[in-house]
Amino acid sequence: MLKIFILIFFSINLFAITNQEVANRCETVMKGFKSSQAEMQMTLINANKQRRTRDMSMMTLESNSGNKSLMTFLSPADVKGTKFLNHEHLNRDDDQWLYLPALKRVKRIASSSKSGSFMGSEFSYEDLSSFNPKKYIFKGDAKIGMLNSKKVYIGERIPKSKNSGYTKEISYVDTKNFLIQKVDYYDRKHELLKTATFDKYKKISGKWRVAQMTMVNHQNHKKTILKWSNEKIKLHLRQKDFNKRVLKK
Amino acid sequence: MRLFLFLLLSSILLAKTEQKNDSTLFDNITYRGDIDWITQSYLIAPADKNPDNITTAANLEATYKKNNLRIHTKVRLQQDLNDLESGAKDTHRSYARIDELYSQYEYDNGQALIGKSLRFWGALEVRNIADVFNPYDLRADPFEKRKLGVINAEYTRYTETGELSFIVQLYEQARDMSAYPYVYYYFPKDIKYSKDLKTQSGQYRPNIYVKYSDSLDSEYALDYTIIFQNGYDSQRYYTTHLTVNNEIETNEHAYLVNKFITYDTLVIGATLYKLEAIFTDVLNNDEISDYTHIGLGLEHTIPQIYEEADLGLLAEYYKYTTLENSKRNDLQLFEVFQNDLFLGLRYTLNKGDDSSIIGGGIFDLDYSEEVYYFEYNTRIADTYKIKFDYRYIEPSKNRPTVFNLMGRHQRISLKVGYYF
Repeated sequence: MLKIFILIFFSINLFAITNQEVANRCETVMKGFKSSQAEMQMTLINANKQRRTRDMSMMTLESNSGNKSLMTFLSPADVKGTKFLNHEHLNRDDDQWLYLPALKRVKRIASSSKSGSFMGSEFSYEDLSSFNPKKYIFKGDAKIGMLNSKKVYIGERIPKSKNSGYTKEISYVDTKNFLIQKVDYYDRKHELLKTATFDKYKKISGKWRVAQMTMVNHQNHKKTILKWSNEKIKLHLRQKDFNKRVLKK
Repeated sequence: MRLFLFLLLSSILLAKTEQKNDSTLFDNITYRGDIDWITQSYLIAPADKNPDNITTAANLEATYKKNNLRIHTKVRLQQDLNDLESGAKDTHRSYARIDELYSQYEYDNGQALIGKSLRFWGALEVRNIADVFNPYDLRADPFEKRKLGVINAEYTRYTETGELSFIVQLYEQARDMSAYPYVYYYFPKDIKYSKDLKTQSGQYRPNIYVKYSDSLDSEYALDYTIIFQNGYDSQRYYTTHLTVNNEIETNEHAYLVNKFITYDTLVIGATLYKLEAIFTDVLNNDEISDYTHIGLGLEHTIPQIYEEADLGLLAEYYKYTTLENSKRNDLQLFEVFQNDLFLGLRYTLNKGDDSSIIGGGIFDLDYSEEVYYFEYNTRIADTYKIKFDYRYIEPSKNRPTVFNLMGRHQRISLKVGYYF
């Protein structure tokens, strides 16, 4: 009996994986696209199921110190040509600028309000920033559970940024390929606020990329679906393609 | 006009040269535009001026982009319905105008531009002291801050994080002004504005700008720009004379200056700190003094103050100082923001219709003037924008300020825009 117990004890510890390790593997799986260009469509669905769509194009440059991204709005027509430039930083607030074509104005934005809604959607600015384990505190081992007939690691992470809109996030990660399947977000009152579901991944030039994700807000019953299409990666984009001056081009 | 036709033909020629056989010219053209219907009603209006006006306007933009070449044009058409009844109600506010037509070519480490273009220089919200490149349109609602295109050539050299630009404005253009019955005509009824611009050295005397912009990528992020200008000042002065028909006519005068300009934004946490400042050294003019103009501002955002809505707190202060007492002062130069404080709020609902409410007050600390305004913006059915605005101006009672000359007024305005 003791032998069986010892065997089970060691088996559990041999196959246990910490939340930090799961997060590192998630980052590794998604890392290495170098740069990307894609079209994005955002569908806003309100509590009465009414839909509104927003179209954008997006360029991203991968960097160890934080990704850089340039988003150009294509619709609705009144915001066509509006551009949003974001320089992520791991240890301080991001640098953000907005270009308003009607005024020819480049406007600096205070990015400390990471929890603010992005374009009236259920996504906040921090939801759309790249996943990096250095932004979170992880504790303990991941639990194993099932999600849509898939075996997943379930783990808790706590955002380090004091400006985060969340106190806790629970992630569900596919045990086979370490792709994030779902994240539950808890608000400052420690209540479940939103759930992001990673509906579809695509392998592009050997790298996994998110093709569709849905954010459901449990408190206001609104939903936003974000779809990426025509994505290309490893495009030889350079730092200077993400300089503030590109906003006016 | 000849220069303009030259620019137009050059742009078409450049576009044809860049064109490859595998695509047509039209494949590389994008366009955007809006058609607006604006009605303004003055609950309190100066006597004899139109108590309301309805304006229809269209803005049309087209951009051709192929490889490193970009050709852009922007056209504006405006019709004030009062102008259809020619006579006493005519506001002289109806026109068709090309605001932009330029070619821009991108090099690996820089870019060149030639043509008629609009630029924005500034950081503040209410008054952009540094925004001196394009003259303001005197036929527009002054609260719209509509500008006129300027014919210029630019070469910009990129540095690692910044850019150095050399800009030459090729022609100093005269500008039209609305006629008396429009509320925002600044002179008394018996003074007629003449479009004939009086200049110190001719309208073809070039304006030269050297501009450097950069950002500091540190814990406290800073965007800064410094500009040196030699040429005609954006501030103008007016003189009156009697015409052969015994009418009083007023003209705009442009004079030469050396000007030093800066506009900067510093980010600390959720607060933006803004500065716009100019020092103007006036060259050989008996009427106009050297002057400084400084604007300081801050914008603090409180996120999710109610549900998803953000609240922005805005405060700005402006100080204009002439350095020679014997010359024209701020009142004679129609400077509104000579010692003024602005306090405002911006409530952004963060809903799918991008609704926002902006309101505030501008307080003149020298002449006891007050301006209050409120704006509500929203979008309907993804293609229509609605803007409702209310303004109240309480002018100085005993000093000849711009608002005193215009008269006390209170207005409501509704703008419906169709965007495509």
